Amino acid sequence: MTNMDFLAIGPEVAVTAAAVLLLMVEVGGKPPKWVWGWIAGLGVAAALGLSIAQWVLGRGADANTYFSDMLVLDGFAAFGGIVVFTLTALGLAASWRLVASLQRRGAEFVALVLIAAAGMHLMAASAHLIMLFVALEVMSISFYVLVGITRNRADADEAALKYFLLGAFASAVFLYGIALVFAGTGHLSLYGEEDFLGATVILRPGVLLAGIAMLIVGLGFKVSAAPFHVWAPDVYQGAPSGITGFLAAGAKVGGFAALARVLTVSFDAYSDDWAPAVAVLAVASVVIGTLLAITQEDIKRMLAYSSVAHAGFILLALTAGDAGVEAVWFYVATYAIQVVAAFAVVAAVTGAAGGRSPLDAYTGLGRRSPILAGSLGLMMLAMAGIPLTTGFIGKIGVFRAAIDAGYLWAVITALVATVAGLYFYLRVIVRMYMDAPEEAAPAIPVPAGVGWTLALTSAATVALGIAPWPLLNMLRDAIPL
Amino acid sequence: MTVTPGWYMALAAVLFVIGAAGVLLRRNALVMFMSVELMLNAVNLTFVAAGRQLNLLDGQVSVLFVMVVAAAEVVVGLAIIVTVFRRRATASVDELAELKG
Repeated sequence: MTNMDFLAIGPEVAVTAAAVLLLMVEVGGKPPKWVWGWIAGLGVAAALGLSIAQWVLGRGADANTYFSDMLVLDGFAAFGGIVVFTLTALGLAASWRLVASLQRRGAEFVALVLIAAAGMHLMAASAHLIMLFVALEVMSISFYVLVGITRNRADADEAALKYFLLGAFASAVFLYGIALVFAGTGHLSLYGEEDFLGATVILRPGVLLAGIAMLIVGLGFKVSAAPFHVWAPDVYQGAPSGITGFLAAGAKVGGFAALARVLTVSFDAYSDDWAPAVAVLAVASVVIGTLLAITQEDIKRMLAYSSVAHAGFILLALTAGDAGVEAVWFYVATYAIQVVAAFAVVAAVTGAAGGRSPLDAYTGLGRRSPILAGSLGLMMLAMAGIPLTTGFIGKIGVFRAAIDAGYLWAVITALVATVAGLYFYLRVIVRMYMDAPEEAAPAIPVPAGVGWTLALTSAATVALGIAPWPLLNMLRDAIPL
Repeated sequence: MTVTPGWYMALAAVLFVIGAAGVLLRRNALVMFMSVELMLNAVNLTFVAAGRQLNLLDGQVSVLFVMVVAAAEVVVGLAIIVTVFRRRATASVDELAELKG
C-alpha cells in the first residue's frame, strides 16, 4: 500500500467514517441535532478536501489505477468527487428542515445521504465492472430508503416501492450486461477491456454487443433517459421535497460518470456500434421529456420530465465519445446545481417532508417571497438554456460535440425541443410574477440552509454562465485515464 | 453429448427472460421481486459458466459479490413492501395509483 492508494479511496473513507460515527453517536448518546450537522459537515468537507487533493496530485500524467485495477485515480474521478461532495453539502443544507422533522430517524437519513455520496463517487472512480456494480447499488439502495423515509405519507411508500422494483430490475439488466461482456471478452477490468478490444478483432461480437446494450439500458434507467424514464415522475413527486434535488442530481452525476467512462474507455473500439444507439436514446429523451413536461400541473413532475429531457441533452454529447466528455461534465455539473436549487425552493414552498407541489402553490410567489421566486426563476431560465446562465453554455457544448460527431439530425431535433421547452419553464415564471397571490396567502420564510444553498447555486449559475472559462479550462483535465 | 458451459449460458438466458417476463407481467410486488431475484440468479449462472469456459476465477468471485449485494437489496426491498402492505393490506402494484399525471 502506498500513500496514493489511500488517496484514491480517501473521500469514500471520509464520508463512510462520518456515517458510521454518526450512527454510533446516535445509538450511544442521543445527541442534539447540531452534532449530526457537525459530523456530517466535517465528513463532507474532508471528502471534498481529499477530492481536491486527488485533483492536484492525481490528474493528467499522474493518473493511475489502484487496488489491483479496482479503482482509478485520474482527473475524471477527482472532478467527479468535487461535484459529488459539493452536491452532498448543498443537498444536506437544503434538507435540514426534513432532517429536523424526522426526529430521531434524522441520524439515519444523514448517514444514508453520506453513504449514497460514497457510492456516487465510486461510480466515477471504478475501474472494474463489478466494482461499478457495487458502487451503483450502494447509491441506489440508499436512494430507495431515502425516497420512503417519511412514513406518514402513502404516496411516499408508493414512490419507494416503484423506485425499488424498477431499480432492482434495471440493476439486474445492468448486471446481465456485465456477465455478457465478461463472457464475450474474458475481462471485467475496464482498462483490461480496452486493451483487449483494441488489440483483438472479435469475429462474432454478438454476445459482447448484447452486453454493451444491456449496460447502456441499466445506466440509462439510473439517469432516467427515455424510454427508461417511467419511474422518474412518480418518484420525484412522492419523495420528500427536501431530498428530491439530491436524488435527482446525484443519480445523474453518478450515472453519467459511469456511462461516460465505460463507453469511452472500455468500448471505444465499438463506438460505431453504440454511438447511434446513444443518439436515438438522446433524441427520444429530449422529445418525450419536453412533450410530457408541457402538460404537467405539479412542479415536481414537471422537473422530473425536464430531467428526462436534460438526460437526452447530455447523451447527445456522449455520441462524440472521448471528445464529448468535457461537454458531458460541464452539463452534468451545472444541471445538478440547478436541480438541487430548484428542489430547495420546492421544499421551502410546499414543505420539506411534503410530496405534491402543485403549480398553483407558486401563484404570486414573487410577492410572497422574492428570494425564493428569484432563485426558482433563475433556475428555470438556466434549465431553458437562456444566455448568461450555465444552461446556455452547457447546451452549446453538447450541441457542438454532437455536430462534430456527425449527428446533425439529432441536434436539430434537440434545438426544436429546446424552443418548445421554453413554454413550461417560462410558465412557472409567469405564475410567480404575473399572477396575483390569493389575498390570505402569507409570506414564506426562507430556512437558513435553503438560503445558503440558493445563494451559492445562484451565484455559481450566473458567474459560470457569464465567465465559464475557469470551469472549461479545468475540464480539459477531467478526462478518463 | 457432453453438457458444455454454453448450454448453461443458454439456460441462464432462458431463466433471465422468464424473470424479466415475471417482473413485467405479474402484479404482486412480492412475486415481481422474486422474479428480479430469478434474473440475478440467471446472471450468476452466466458468470460461473463463462468463468468455467474461459478458465478464469473472476466469474466465480463475481457471483459472491452479486449475492451479497442481492442480500442487501432484499433487506431494503422487503421492508418497503411490508410498509406498503401495512398501510393498504394489499401488495398488488395495480392498486398503487396515487401518483400519476
